[in-house]
Amino acid sequence: MRDHIESPCGLRYVFEQLELQAGYTRRWMLDMPMMRTGEEIAQSYAVLRQFADFIERVDTPYINTLQFRLQGLKDIRTTIKNLGQQAVLDDIELFEVKHLAILAVDVAERMKAHGLDQAIAVPDLNEVITILDPDGLKMATFYVYDSYCQELRDLRAQMRQNPSRQEELLAECAEIEEGVRRDLSKQLVPFAKALEEAQIAMAKIDMNLAKALQIKQLGLCFPTISKDDISRYEAMFHPQVKDALAQRKRAFHPVSLTFGQKPTLITGANMGGKTVVLKTLTLCQYLFQYGFGIPAQSADIAVKDEVFFCIGDEQSIEKGLSSFAAEMKNIDAVIKASRENRKIVALIDEPARTTNPTEGTALVSALVKVLRGDNVSLVMTTHYDIEPTDARCLRVKGFENGTMNYELVEVQDGEVPHEALNIAESLGIDKEWIETARAFLIMANSPQLNLSNSIGLDPRGSNSTPLNEEGENKTPSNSRGFRRGSNSTPCKNGGGE
Amino acid sequence: MTFIDDILNYDSLSIVGLQKNTGKTVSLNYVLDRLPIERKRIAVTSIGIDGETTDQVTRTQKPEIYLRQGMYFGTSEMHYRQKRIVSELIDVSDENTSLGRVVTAKALTGGKILLSGPSSASGLKRWMKDMHRVGLDLVIIDGALSRLSLASPAVSQSMILATGAAYSTNMTTLVNQTAFIVELINIPLTDEEQLKLLMPIEKGVWFVDSDGALHEIKTVSSLSQEIHFEGMDDCKTLYVAGALVDGFLEKVRKNPKLKTCELVVRDFTKIFVSPQQYRLFLKLGGRIRVLQKSKLIAVTVNPTSPLGVVLDSDTLCAKLTEAIHLPVYDLMKDNVDVCVPQTSKTSCVCETQTPTMMRCN
Repeated sequence: MRDHIESPCGLRYVFEQLELQAGYTRRWMLDMPMMRTGEEIAQSYAVLRQFADFIERVDTPYINTLQFRLQGLKDIRTTIKNLGQQAVLDDIELFEVKHLAILAVDVAERMKAHGLDQAIAVPDLNEVITILDPDGLKMATFYVYDSYCQELRDLRAQMRQNPSRQEELLAECAEIEEGVRRDLSKQLVPFAKALEEAQIAMAKIDMNLAKALQIKQLGLCFPTISKDDISRYEAMFHPQVKDALAQRKRAFHPVSLTFGQKPTLITGANMGGKTVVLKTLTLCQYLFQYGFGIPAQSADIAVKDEVFFCIGDEQSIEKGLSSFAAEMKNIDAVIKASRENRKIVALIDEPARTTNPTEGTALVSALVKVLRGDNVSLVMTTHYDIEPTDARCLRVKGFENGTMNYELVEVQDGEVPHEALNIAESLGIDKEWIETARAFLIMANSPQLNLSNSIGLDPRGSNSTPLNEEGENKTPSNSRGFRRGSNSTPCKNGGGE
Repeated sequence: MTFIDDILNYDSLSIVGLQKNTGKTVSLNYVLDRLPIERKRIAVTSIGIDGETTDQVTRTQKPEIYLRQGMYFGTSEMHYRQKRIVSELIDVSDENTSLGRVVTAKALTGGKILLSGPSSASGLKRWMKDMHRVGLDLVIIDGALSRLSLASPAVSQSMILATGAAYSTNMTTLVNQTAFIVELINIPLTDEEQLKLLMPIEKGVWFVDSDGALHEIKTVSSLSQEIHFEGMDDCKTLYVAGALVDGFLEKVRKNPKLKTCELVVRDFTKIFVSPQQYRLFLKLGGRIRVLQKSKLIAVTVNPTSPLGVVLDSDTLCAKLTEAIHLPVYDLMKDNVDVCVPQTSKTSCVCETQTPTMMRCN
């Protein structure tokens, strides 16, 4: 998981929200590889579902006690390895083994009491406790007990009676103690594997408990595994964005989306949540392949070998790459992976947005063609007008009655919406700027109109350098007055309608 | 009456040496030997290595720490493996030190032990909390006043300070320096409200305005020479989370805007100013307060320096008592002399105590 945790999709956020009890569980999870087969994923959700049922059945104090116990889970892999290599364990190592065994027996009993012993089997370590607890005290403490050897008991009694001889008696004791430890270690060797399994089993319990609680807290769902390579999401949301909005007392608008076989293009107004859609899709894909609850009402997700999330504005300052170069390199990696015939999902946010619209449109149109293979599921956002024949086009519904509707609707052509000016206006951006831009649009759409005397407009700076509303603002594609490539759909009405 | 009874009023005690070889371990052993373990459950740990037989720096003979049966102790894995007592492990923590994890055990026989506990302030606090949680009454910290130690002994409720000829063989210097440290230890706590506000802040320089709002002074390090107190016309409290040094104190003193403000530091171990600067600051109306404070119970002296110079114990105790108005003990003597401060007169009376460690009480 370490490779993906820092993805800008927000995987770390969801991971950090897990209430893991043991530091070992955290490390174990981070070391876990991504699941890449349907069986594996199905299996992990089957276990998780049992935990979700479990937390519904038991009361909070019971869960708290179990969590408190799991806090005692320590990473004793080194000790277990030493044991496996038939080394003689010292007091600290024997303490660790006993501590783990007592914990495992306790947790196993709790699991069994609630029918979870089938879901995650904790090996029976009662025999280990018997070996390390000769007085049957069931306490998680350890020393070489007097009961192991009568001679040791006698020497220690002498020691207490006669402190002046302590040094000399200690030396004698040390020899006996070492013998006892050798003997104990020998008895414990056959349990090395069971100890290791118990440690992992408890990490699994800790993880599943945390995931189940998270599902309840964040309102996540159990996904199904898609059989036709198409992913379907109903009302999905991004937990991090949702929380951030909630802090500002605003609600997150869930989005539904289906994608898979054909490249999917999402166009739509600025601030329409296109990037958030991609972020959420990436996050859901990772959460799915790491067996977490999915932030959606329902989800049917296709299993992939690799997930690519290319977000436009990451500049690699350390590598000395411009934002364009960094982006090209990232997308290049996607194309290379697609040729290796691995099943990939590529989520690309506004590719080539930082270059001129003519070449940008060409690059994006070409990308849709290049990434059309059966093994690639592509979802891409763009502001460029792209030939719709190769792709399925979705559009954010956009501004309706002064508020943003984040819903995605299917559009038949690749026509991109022209709402940038309306949105800018709603943001309270300088009126003169917006109005002048509008005038330019009208003129651009009617090339026959004379620039200077058109409808009483006075495009300031009549030295006539067209104002550029940032690279991403939309102007109709056949408008010659603007630097726009015209490789696609015919012009409709420009400007804010 | 010795200071042992005083210790029992607190749930934690740190024993701090002003310098190596000032008799800190002797003081610790003295305390450990006299605490009523039948009534109180006691745990001991150390910040830094302690209890080694020869001094790691000066190669002089050092006393080892002697634990009594039934006492709990926290030490590193490495030192636990070298122990020369019978003890039962009760915990292996996740707390790492350079000598391995911190382990906690109960002594099943009396005996000598090397102590090397948590090495960070937060680690030490966690350990102390754990000990109190499992029902121990008193936690004793073998503290270091070393500038290198990250863990401050000021986290404990009470404190014993060990001083001696190792710090200075000139009696006047020794008395003055010790009195200065005692003065710093006794700096009062800031008020409750500010305590809550400032306690979580562990770095930077901050100020509190008269409305109680907190502001960070971003461009300032308390160590830098270029300090500008801009936009601080309304400064009620100035808080230095790190070290307080001469240069900074001088700037504060000379700034008329800060004349009436209260200067707050984390605890006395963070104050690295010279006595001259410190006194001048106070004399001109400056106020210093701390966030953490230990009650200084007693001062112990070791009149012998590692170089062989021996100061006259009686005179030293008398002079120190006069300067600090606290009981001063020479634990090295066969008969421990306790100098009790006189309220009216400048001279002191020496009571003779017979400690059980050397002779029966």
